[in-house]
Formats: sequence, C-alpha cells, structure tokens
Amino acid sequence: MEYILEGIRQAVRLIFSLDREIFSIVLFSLKISTISIFLSSLAGVPVGFIIGTNEFLGKKLLVTIFNTLMAFPTVVVGLLVYSFISRQGPLGPLGLLFTPQAMVIGQFILATPIIVALTISATQGIDPRVKLTAMTLGASPLRTVTTILSEARFALTAAVIAGFGRVIAEVGCAMMVGGNIRGYTRTMTTAIALETSKGEFGFGLSLGLILLAVAFSVNILLHWLQLRKS
Amino acid sequence: MDNFQFEVREMTKAYNGKKVLDIAHLTIKKGRIYGMMGPNGAGKTTLLYILSLLLPPTSGKIYFEGVDTYKVNQYSLRQKMTLILQNPLLFNTTVEGNIAYGLRVRGVEEEEQKKRVKECLKLVGLDSFEKRRAKELSGGEIQRVAIARALALNPMVLLLDEPTANVDRGSVALLEKILKELNQRFKITVILATHDINQAYRISDEVIYLFEGKIARSPLENLYRGRVIKDKDIFLFDTGKIQISILPERDEVNHISIPPEDIIVSIKPISTSARNSFSGKIFHVSDGGNSIRLGVDVGEKLWVKVTKKSFQEMRLNLGSQVYLTFKSSSVEAY
Repeated sequence: MEYILEGIRQAVRLIFSLDREIFSIVLFSLKISTISIFLSSLAGVPVGFIIGTNEFLGKKLLVTIFNTLMAFPTVVVGLLVYSFISRQGPLGPLGLLFTPQAMVIGQFILATPIIVALTISATQGIDPRVKLTAMTLGASPLRTVTTILSEARFALTAAVIAGFGRVIAEVGCAMMVGGNIRGYTRTMTTAIALETSKGEFGFGLSLGLILLAVAFSVNILLHWLQLRKS
Repeated sequence: MDNFQFEVREMTKAYNGKKVLDIAHLTIKKGRIYGMMGPNGAGKTTLLYILSLLLPPTSGKIYFEGVDTYKVNQYSLRQKMTLILQNPLLFNTTVEGNIAYGLRVRGVEEEEQKKRVKECLKLVGLDSFEKRRAKELSGGEIQRVAIARALALNPMVLLLDEPTANVDRGSVALLEKILKELNQRFKITVILATHDINQAYRISDEVIYLFEGKIARSPLENLYRGRVIKDKDIFLFDTGKIQISILPERDEVNHISIPPEDIIVSIKPISTSARNSFSGKIFHVSDGGNSIRLGVDVGEKLWVKVTKKSFQEMRLNLGSQVYLTFKSSSVEAY
C-alpha cells in the first residue's frame, strides 16, 4: 500500500513541477493524435457522407465492414503497418519504421473506420428535407452538402471525438510501429508501459493520470454535445 | 413564348416503372396565380418538385422562360424561384439564420441581409423573432418563417405545396393576402397546390386540375367512381346511386366527372337533346365570386354554377327543388 501511495505522491509532484520529460511526452501524444484525427476526418467524413446519403448495391455490407473495423485490434493494425514499412516490406525503402509518420499511419487506420461508421449514421439520420430545402433556397451543390453536414454537426463532432479517444489511448500500434524511442516516438501510453515495467511507478502513474484526464475531458465533451443535440 | 414562365411538353415521371405524371402540354404564364388542385396522390407535389428542378422528369421537357432546363445549369435557374415544402423544415439555427440563408447563398451583403430579414418577418407578422431558435417555434410560426424565408429571395416564381394545410384560419387569410399583394406588386408567378377548392378559386387566376397524373380539362368537382354498363349502343355509368349516360368509351373507365358549368339548372323539366336529366333539392349555396355555387342532391351530390342574376330570377334557395340537365358529351371519363 505504501508503495502505491508513494507512487501517487511522486506522480503529483511530477505533474505540478511541470516535469519537462513528462510534458514533452504529453505534447507529442496530443500532436500525433491530432494530426491523425485531422487526416482521418478529411478522409472519413466525405466517405461516410457519400455512403450515408446514397443508396447503392452492397451498402449494407459496406456499413457492416466499417462497423466491424471500428473494433480492429490495435496490435493487428500495428502488425499490418509494420509488415508494410519494415525493411523487407513493400514500403521499406521509405524508412518509415519507428518514426512519428509511421504512428500517424497506424492511428489513421484505427480512427478512420470509426469516423466513417459514425458519419454514416449521422448523415443517414438527417431529414431528407434538409437537402430539398437547401436546393429550393438556391444553394449550389457544394453548399447543399455543407448544409447537410452543418445540420449533422453535433453527431459529426461526436464522431471525430470518438476517433480521437481511440487513438490517444491506444498502445499496441504506437509501440509496434513507433518503437517507443525516447524524445522521438514516445507517447503517453508507450511510456506508461515501459516505465511501469522498469519499476518507475510514479512516472508511469503521473502519465496515467494525465491520460485519464485527457480521456475524461474528451468524454465529457462528447456527453455535452449529445445533450445539446437532444 | 416569352410570355411563359414554364412550359411542359410530353413530360412523364415514373417511380419504379409506375407512371405518376403524364403531362402532354402545360403552360404557366408569367405574373399569374395558379391554383393546382387534385386528390391525394394525383401528382401535385411531384409536379411542383419537377417545376422547381428538384427532381428530373423521366421523359419530356421543361422550359423555364423558353430555356430548356435540361441544357443549362439548373442551380442558376433554381435561384430564380423557390418552393415552400408542405411541411417546411427550418435549419437548426436562429430564425434570422434561416431567412438569411438564401441571401448568403446569393452573396447579398450582410447589412442588406439584416434589412431583408426584418422586412420579411414583419410581412408575416413575426417582428423581432430574429434571434429565436428555430427549434423553439410552434408549427404555425415555422410555416410563417418558411414563407418569410422564401419571400426574402424576391423570387420570380413562388411555388407552394399546400401551405395552408396545417395552419389556423388567421394564417390562411394572411398568406392569401400576402400572395395577392406580391403578385400584384412584383408580378411574381405563383403556383399553389391546394386541397381547398374555395381557396383555389378565391386567389388564383387559373386553376390547374391534376387527376391520376394527368391534367384534367376542368376541376373535377363532380367526380364519381363507378363502372360502365353497356346496354346495346347506350353507355351508362353506374355510380352505385345514379346512372349517367356517357359517350361510347373504352371499357376501363373508373371515374367520370361533369364540369359544373356544363350543367343547366331549371325549375321545371326541360326537353332537350341532352340525355341526362335529374331532379333534386339544393342543399348548399355559396358565393363563388362572379357566380353562385349550388350543391344539389340528386342521389349523388352534384355541384353546379349559376350566375347571380339567374339565381335571383329563379328565386332559388336552400331546399328548392330543381332539375339538372347535361349532355352525354359533357361527361368526362377517366
């Protein structure tokens, strides 16, 4: 018990003394996840919109695939990306293994299905009159699309936040393709895994608390958005 | 040609192979008010959507001011008109945001937007509603904001899909007044789908009647369901209550109608070549503008029109016994 309390004391000390190493790790995590989510949204929202607002053969299958991919195990994604970018892999010559770029690729693959799947359900639920109304008021085709997205804005934000929550908290993929290199590819989650196994319990715990705070804030934001929607 | 706001030629619309509209020719003249009537499922909404360029026809052509709408950028044409949906939807923002939407789309300056919003809200009797959230409005208020939103655009053509179906009487009168005023002041063309025959005649210059996707010659006021009975070379249409003589027709006739203006009203039976003559009591009298509308119960309820003068001369009243006479050739079969 003493051991745990000592860990917590050390964690609080580290956080409030604004320990440089800890905060560079936190900033790096936030940066990588933000870039990944930005790219995922750029790809996932339009794809989800197109699937959600059109009827075509195989739509149900596609939706099921994206729903299934939402639960893609992170280590499997790590494995997949690793096999492509490792020296012998097809993308080996690019030298991406154990770089932040590799981590962004992995997180992109993890977050995009979530954003696609949630965008599908967000745009499917939009009243068909939104499109008609925009058209009757003289909106251009592009403006009509942005109007529909704007009407779904709360659900879309929720989709993006859910994707962010997934990538900021995942460890398997970041570890495998990032390599947990100190000062280069170390994230909150990989650092926690390493430091804890090294016996640096306080260090791990302080990062754990910050990660928890981030995850918590994201969830509160999500909850608040859903409340506003209703 | 320039005189026409719309011209529709050989146009059909089908859903899953089922024809819902089949219009050989229809012209809408500029600056007039049209009432579009017809029972549910007659294709009124579909026709409004096609004219508004929201839906493409399955075949045929739509001309807007003489321009083939298929050959030009439809979105620029769409900016010249607007349709108010039957159940209007307001975007999830403020009332002001809703009314300004179409102005923003057209690149109108913000100052001007604010001014137009204010004017149009005043026009529909919702002054100082600018900052209200669309979600907090009642059904009648939504309808009015939708009208204000359409008027803000200064459209050349205003199409309305049963705008008064779900509003109170006060709003109906207000809307009719606004439509007349706009039509007179700005010469905008108005096409209004309605269920209400009195409304159609009250406000429109012309009434278009749709029946099963086709334009009918005149409003099918005396519309009956039934079947044809052939008796040698005489064709009778049996409504279940009365039998009406019709011209020899194709076999599958399910509906007939008799234009009210083709029916002669007399106090005594008259002998003419007309094959149909019925007697009955007047159960309804109303003012139809230039004429008097009478409802006569001859077994079926028949609607007829008489001039004010003859109405007075014949000393007609509720309960009067009259004879109705019309030719077989006046009966339209569907």
